[in-house]
Amino acid sequence: MPSSVSPATSASRPSTDLVARLSSSDLQVQLKALRDIKNQIIGNRTKKLTFIKLGAVPAVASVLADAFDAASCCASSSDLVVQSAAALGSFACGVDAGVRAVIDAGALPYFVRLLSSSDEKVVDSGARSLKMIYQSKLAPKYDFSEKVNMDFLLSLLNSENENVNGLGAGIITHSCETSAEQKVLCDNGVLLKLIDFLEGSISQRDASLESLASVMKDNTEVTSKFVEYEGGRALNLLVKLTSERSTRTRLLACACLIIIRNVSPGYLKGKGIETKLICYLLELLEEPGQVGDEASFTLSSFIEDKEDLQKLAFDANAIDLLCTHLQKDLLQPQRLEGILLALAHICSRLEVCRAKLLPMQAFDSVNDALRHDCADVRAAACMCMRSVSRSVQNLSAGFFMNEKIVLPLLQLLHDPTLSVQLAALRAISNIVVDFRTRKSSFVRWGGVKQLVQLSMSMNPSIRSNSLWALKNLTFDADNKCKEGVYGELTASSLASLIGDPEPPVQEQALALVRNLIDGSLDSVQYVFAEDSIVLDAVGRQLQRASTAEVGMQGMYVLCNVASGGEVHKDAVMDQLLRDTKNSSSPFITQFLQSNDSRLRTASVWVVVNLTTPSCRGVSSRIGKLRNAGIISQLKNMVNDPCLDVKLRVRTILGQYMTFGDS
Amino acid sequence: MSLFWIVIRQLAEIEAMTDLLQAMSKKVITREEWEKKLNDVKIRKEDMNKLVMNFLVTEGYVEAAEKFRMESGTEHIDLATITDRMAVKKAVQCGNVEDAIEKVNDLNPEILDTNPQLFFHLQQQRLIELIRNGKVEEALEFAQEELAPRGEENQSFLEELERTVALLAFEDVSNCPVGELLDMSQRLKTASEVNAAILTSQSHEKDPKLPSLLKMLIWAQNQLDKKAAYPRINDLSTAKLEDPSV
Repeated sequence: MPSSVSPATSASRPSTDLVARLSSSDLQVQLKALRDIKNQIIGNRTKKLTFIKLGAVPAVASVLADAFDAASCCASSSDLVVQSAAALGSFACGVDAGVRAVIDAGALPYFVRLLSSSDEKVVDSGARSLKMIYQSKLAPKYDFSEKVNMDFLLSLLNSENENVNGLGAGIITHSCETSAEQKVLCDNGVLLKLIDFLEGSISQRDASLESLASVMKDNTEVTSKFVEYEGGRALNLLVKLTSERSTRTRLLACACLIIIRNVSPGYLKGKGIETKLICYLLELLEEPGQVGDEASFTLSSFIEDKEDLQKLAFDANAIDLLCTHLQKDLLQPQRLEGILLALAHICSRLEVCRAKLLPMQAFDSVNDALRHDCADVRAAACMCMRSVSRSVQNLSAGFFMNEKIVLPLLQLLHDPTLSVQLAALRAISNIVVDFRTRKSSFVRWGGVKQLVQLSMSMNPSIRSNSLWALKNLTFDADNKCKEGVYGELTASSLASLIGDPEPPVQEQALALVRNLIDGSLDSVQYVFAEDSIVLDAVGRQLQRASTAEVGMQGMYVLCNVASGGEVHKDAVMDQLLRDTKNSSSPFITQFLQSNDSRLRTASVWVVVNLTTPSCRGVSSRIGKLRNAGIISQLKNMVNDPCLDVKLRVRTILGQYMTFGDS
Repeated sequence: MSLFWIVIRQLAEIEAMTDLLQAMSKKVITREEWEKKLNDVKIRKEDMNKLVMNFLVTEGYVEAAEKFRMESGTEHIDLATITDRMAVKKAVQCGNVEDAIEKVNDLNPEILDTNPQLFFHLQQQRLIELIRNGKVEEALEFAQEELAPRGEENQSFLEELERTVALLAFEDVSNCPVGELLDMSQRLKTASEVNAAILTSQSHEKDPKLPSLLKMLIWAQNQLDKKAAYPRINDLSTAKLEDPSV
């Protein structure tokens, strides 16, 4: 069968022309145009977007609508139905604009009606297209609580047609989010049906694995039902599927087991499954396409925040493998992001992991990724930096405080994407802890300026995280550095940040002040400058502190001030005994009664410093404390459950006894 | 007795023997003893028939599969789907890629939409066919309009894309460094990829079981070699038992 291959001519047939033919009155012309469009767009993202812009989607949808209505009387109409449904499904496949266009064109109800056709091909086309829609986040949310919806869903799962089954599973994967939804699905026998599918055909099995993950996620009840089903048969089946030939099945089965493990580690204990899961996932990293892309994300979800699993991954050589992949040429952004994220998680808690990664050549790739075009990649690279910069060893060696690492991070502080900014801030917060006091370099590179700028951001997370970085910068810093920070920030900004509407911002601002005045006695001046504007702000904030953390940081500020001379101690006394309109007892009394031992500890330290016997004016200060009822409060705390508190209280009362009751 | 039968029995016997010889030092088994043991091995005819049918279906021998069904009563999947699949495979093998794409899309529009690598290889084959037919201008246009976007959408295709486009740079295409792209083997490779994708979408295993069984036999014999000398099958095509070397 000779066929002249002339793709060029059909590709260059004006697309607008094709779209116009869709409204031809000649059904054959319509059909040909449909098939042409369909064959051009399948697999071809660029073409899909082109045709969408030309308004092809509503045109195809109306062909579907007309053909459907006419289908009962005209045989060729079923061809039109199948082709138009297929075309619409393809528009919706992996293209958000396509999904939106198909939904807006009102095609969904038609797809549903196709499912009840007697023609298997029509059913298939409807099921496939709906399935494509439900693979997108833009699909309408399916309400499982409505009986009619649940019945429909069950009919899909019970159908003889595998594509229809797949649609049912796809709807569950898309819309099952809350535990209430998980429960109602389970109560209606969906879990059992999905378990059945695990032993069905490849497509049923894969679709079911995805759905099971969303039905069991974070749900103790449903997960335990699965695990206990027929004495563990379903669980064993799942474990077997991790060694299936199909890589996609393996990945989905691993993801499912991870979900089960996250509900309760006990379900997988004693079977060596955890190590196997890590090894399988590391193997799957080699796979091309979506499976390989997702494998690293699945691995991350497994090891996140779990030190024991991170150790298992380390032992399984994960870092070497991830680094090998990292250094491959032409990595797709999604795959790169996944690998960086996995490295970030594996190094998040264990020093051995960081120690392994840092000397590797691949670490340069992490550094380079800070400048990648894709925002998600940049964010993941920052997360990786944040993890490795938790290494006290390397911070002490001044490993991170160099241009190569810091300059790109400083750049990212201005990134258009918020998540990148935050991730960069967190990495910088660690790096500035640099114990070799090369903080002057940071100042020279403009770091302080930028951080101070960000502390004025509209976004509270940015404000609190930039203050956090400044706080870390001033930790154990020399005077020059502190002056630099204070000078850039100014007393009035500092005061207003202490009084910020958001507690996390208040907390970090207070902690920053604490670090500023820590150390030599001169530093205390920072709170007294400009008419004690900062000290006043501290006192004011303590009066209306809404969280224990804010109270604690504020009290440590007062504590540091009170470690000075008479003038300083008296100033602190004034703050403690500020007139309040609403409560008659000073805030310190409330703090001393707090359930949070850290707050009680900080508060008693203030009193310890205020009542130091060797300092002038101590008896008058003690008198004031007694009159304010603070001494009697302390007397109630001689047996405080927290050892720190107990010992300081006894010290204070000892000092008090020296001056006697007057 | 069919060769197939011999092979299967050999495999079963070896597996049993290997277990038995776990603890013993190398033993010699004469042909007589071996054949006696082989005769005791029970293999079900239905299982063999299924294996044969599986092979015929997966490889796409439609008529043979139908005849075998009639003569043996072994069930198989709907032949129409095999026919469709074979039509696609044949189209690619003949270089009619556009036709193959249309057929695949009629069979199941999801396949090419969810298999970017396969779609790229089919487009690549289209380009190769254009170059083979000397249609240089069309080839250039096609490369620009259809293939370049694939490379943009997915960077892992760039290398192969470059190789293919390199064909255009040479006067004598059959002698250039990337000339192997013009070989029949490239068409067969692409055809095989499409075949596998269709099989997977139809929820079938994409590889027939028979080759795996033969691989297993070879491996098992190698294992047993460490422990015994026995009649081996050295030539799979004849399944002849060769006397053990003493």
